[in-house]
Amino acid sequence: MSTRASGWTRLRRAVAARGFTPATWIPAASEGRAEEATIRPARLVEDLRIGGHPVGSPEPWPGTVAFLDGTQRYEVMAYAGASPVVVAEIAAAVLERRDRQMHVAEVARRRLVIARPEVLGDLEDAIEGHGAIEISEDEPPHPVKDFQLARREVDAARGRLEVEIGHRYRSASNAWMIVDGALSESPQWARDEKMLGVAKSHATLPFGGGDLEHYLRLPAGMRSPVFEPAGNEVAPVFSWALRLWPWQGLNLLHGLIRVEAAATLETLARADQLSRWLLAERAPVSTPDPRWDRLLYGIRAVEEYLRASGE
Amino acid sequence: MTAPIGRVVATELKPSTPHQFHFWTARESPVGIGAIVRVEAAARTVFGIVTDGFAYSDLLTPIHDVIGADGDPALAGFAPTERAEIRLYTAAVLRQLPEEPLQPVPLGAVHLASDSDVVTALRMDAFLATATPTGMPAGVYAAGGLEAPIYLDADFLLGPEAAHLNITGVSGLATKTSAVEFLLSSIFQTFPVQKGSVAAVCFNVKGPDLCFLDQPAELSEEDRRLYGRLGLRPEPFGDVTYYAPYKADGVNLNTLRSHEALAANTMPLVWGLREVLDYAEVLLNKDDVDAKADAFIGFLGERVVGREFRDITLSDQPLEVKSFADLEDFFRRIFDFMEVQAKSSEVWRNHHIATIRKVRNRLGNISVRAKGLVTDDGQASDLPWGKFADRSVHVIDVAGIDPLAQDLVFARAVSKLKEHLERRDLGVDHVVVFVDELNKYAPADGPDTYVRRMLLELSERGRYLGLVLFSAQQFRSQVLRRVVGNAGTALFGRMDMDEISTPGYATLSPATKAKLAALPKGELMVRHPHFTQPLFVRFPRPAMLPGRVGVERFPPAADLPFPQAVARQLRALDPAVTVPKVEALIDGRREEDVRRALHATRRTRPDNVLAFFSAQLGKRVEREVAPARGVTGLKKTGDPYG
Repeated sequence: MSTRASGWTRLRRAVAARGFTPATWIPAASEGRAEEATIRPARLVEDLRIGGHPVGSPEPWPGTVAFLDGTQRYEVMAYAGASPVVVAEIAAAVLERRDRQMHVAEVARRRLVIARPEVLGDLEDAIEGHGAIEISEDEPPHPVKDFQLARREVDAARGRLEVEIGHRYRSASNAWMIVDGALSESPQWARDEKMLGVAKSHATLPFGGGDLEHYLRLPAGMRSPVFEPAGNEVAPVFSWALRLWPWQGLNLLHGLIRVEAAATLETLARADQLSRWLLAERAPVSTPDPRWDRLLYGIRAVEEYLRASGE
Repeated sequence: MTAPIGRVVATELKPSTPHQFHFWTARESPVGIGAIVRVEAAARTVFGIVTDGFAYSDLLTPIHDVIGADGDPALAGFAPTERAEIRLYTAAVLRQLPEEPLQPVPLGAVHLASDSDVVTALRMDAFLATATPTGMPAGVYAAGGLEAPIYLDADFLLGPEAAHLNITGVSGLATKTSAVEFLLSSIFQTFPVQKGSVAAVCFNVKGPDLCFLDQPAELSEEDRRLYGRLGLRPEPFGDVTYYAPYKADGVNLNTLRSHEALAANTMPLVWGLREVLDYAEVLLNKDDVDAKADAFIGFLGERVVGREFRDITLSDQPLEVKSFADLEDFFRRIFDFMEVQAKSSEVWRNHHIATIRKVRNRLGNISVRAKGLVTDDGQASDLPWGKFADRSVHVIDVAGIDPLAQDLVFARAVSKLKEHLERRDLGVDHVVVFVDELNKYAPADGPDTYVRRMLLELSERGRYLGLVLFSAQQFRSQVLRRVVGNAGTALFGRMDMDEISTPGYATLSPATKAKLAALPKGELMVRHPHFTQPLFVRFPRPAMLPGRVGVERFPPAADLPFPQAVARQLRALDPAVTVPKVEALIDGRREEDVRRALHATRRTRPDNVLAFFSAQLGKRVEREVAPARGVTGLKKTGDPYG
């Protein structure tokens, strides 16, 4: 906590010198993306109904595999009247696994200041070296609503940064790349046949009713039928759920990941193979992260690297 | 500047201090325990030596590894990704530049030390980069592909700043003996000119350890390369003289260096009554040393031995006590007088008969237990006191003699060295005395013997005289603490774990202890006043023949019958001497007369050996057969009854 504050101390002082009210508020979950819980019915492309597909024994992923993830952190550092001035740091990196060792392949960082346009205008050179992102001023200033808008901008900026370095890596390597989250961030990713998205979050679920019940009760080592998530018209992908660890006695989402891949017949044909490769990624276990049951060790390594090497 | 191999890290739980820091390296780093590193930070350079190492992964508890492998150990090694792992090292600070203000080690890049870094880190620049350098090679520091010579400061090894050297290590690896031989060779080759001359007196206390210091060893190319790296010549000592007492027969030397080819510089060590009496205290245990015994020994030394002693109660003629035989006769006269003439008086010249008997027993004891060391003729064959040559080595072989005689030899030799160095008339300015098995001569527990007191005196005050003690033992913890504590330089070879776990080694890290317990032959840990931390060094094999190899190449001569043994002794002076010639000369002579003549000949080393020997034997007294005497038979007479 103190490290973060000290990292932005100079900026905070400069902002205060221009007459803004200094503040320090680090909201809860400031390092994660904001998500709303919802059901968006998907279209089954493999079976007619939800059922479990045993994928077989885990198999090690052949060749080089890259893992892409990003991090973000933000806090309110001042108020311009009632509207917050939010400062954020976003970062993304690709770590490549060669001979079982992780190596940094790509990394990028950005420092951002998010505020209403006139506030950013007043800050001018005080925020030199930071990216300036405006939030809408259609409505009168509101500390909570403006903060929510700022947070969405941070999420989006992080997504863009991940896409940027993902493209940069792909231009240099044809290795398999596993992204933390959805492939729909980029149409290019969605078409990439050597890219997988692994979503840990199940805030948005693809089925309702009895199908959802079957979907959430997949036994360990089984996957759901391949489906096409809704709302990805620009960048359609195929997806399926895969249970990495037994959930019985814990919770329905324990060990459950959702895999995204290019919407191709090839993906349909090798969903089991890809699932077996992913099952092998259960080890090493990503403890002590509380999401260890769904967090691949390679993705965690990217997060750890970005956290450890951040300012 | 070399690429960094690590980075200093400091946390609240593992902070940097002015004397210690931690750094991490890549897994493939050449850093190991004992490696010297340099930390570069703004306006400050820190040199450190690695004392401990840690490795751990991001695994929180072992159970998570079990879970990840589905409980199957065979699968545990096949995870697609290896866990992130750290190599974390702890280093002790050797030196900080600038030295003031002394601050915690900053977070900075860590580099392997270069040759010049090693010199600076170990403060060797203080005695190497001067107008009159005093460095003497002690081995090479080797780590990370670097091999840097390590020097000891002559001012701190041979005085006057500090002095003495002690070596500890398990028996059987020959590390202790090899280290002393190599170091003595280095001293002899590099002792600074401005510090004068130096010689060594070594006590060979077991087997053939030091018996072949003048014979060249076969060295490997690697050894020769190391000698070259250290700027030393791989050669045995050029001026070595061996001294050994005789065996009980008085003619065969009591040493494993008795091969005829080595006889030229192997001398008998023989002492007379005078030499023994001066160190009579050695022969007395603490209970014996009372004022009365001391007074009587003083009386003997000042009034009797070597002088004409007149006492009509003992003899009409002046008594001359020069040998143990004379002394025994002297005592017998006293006892006779007291028993017969003094009518069983218990006092003679104010000395109680019990005191006289005790002194007689103790002195007589040495002539029995060290029969080959002491001579009845009163003439000594001794070290060349006052004529020690620069770079000469004098080996006194006491391996085969009685412990009491060993003590006597040791006490007298060291005392004589001290006397001569005090008077500055020994012939050299510095003498290194090497004593192995120090725990036997200066034990931490046990009686307070004369030898122990003398070793303590030597270790505490010897450096002012130029008398330096090089000592060795298997268990440092069992040696009198003040003796080893006074050794400015300490070497440690492979150690026994029981020994390392004693309190004396508490300052060493567990990793350093583990390294000590498995140290290969030819490697030592060095403590020296200039080095703020112990350092591991490698040294080449000594260029002189190891004892074990020496006895194979020069098998000890078998004990010979008296005439042949005498001939062999004389042949060392003149190869033309033959057994028949000697046999002809000594035929019919008393053995003690022959021994006396032999010793005189060896002492004198005349041009014509046989002639001198013959003259010393004196005129032969021809035997003559006396006519049988008896009572003459009775004159035959007629038997009146026959």
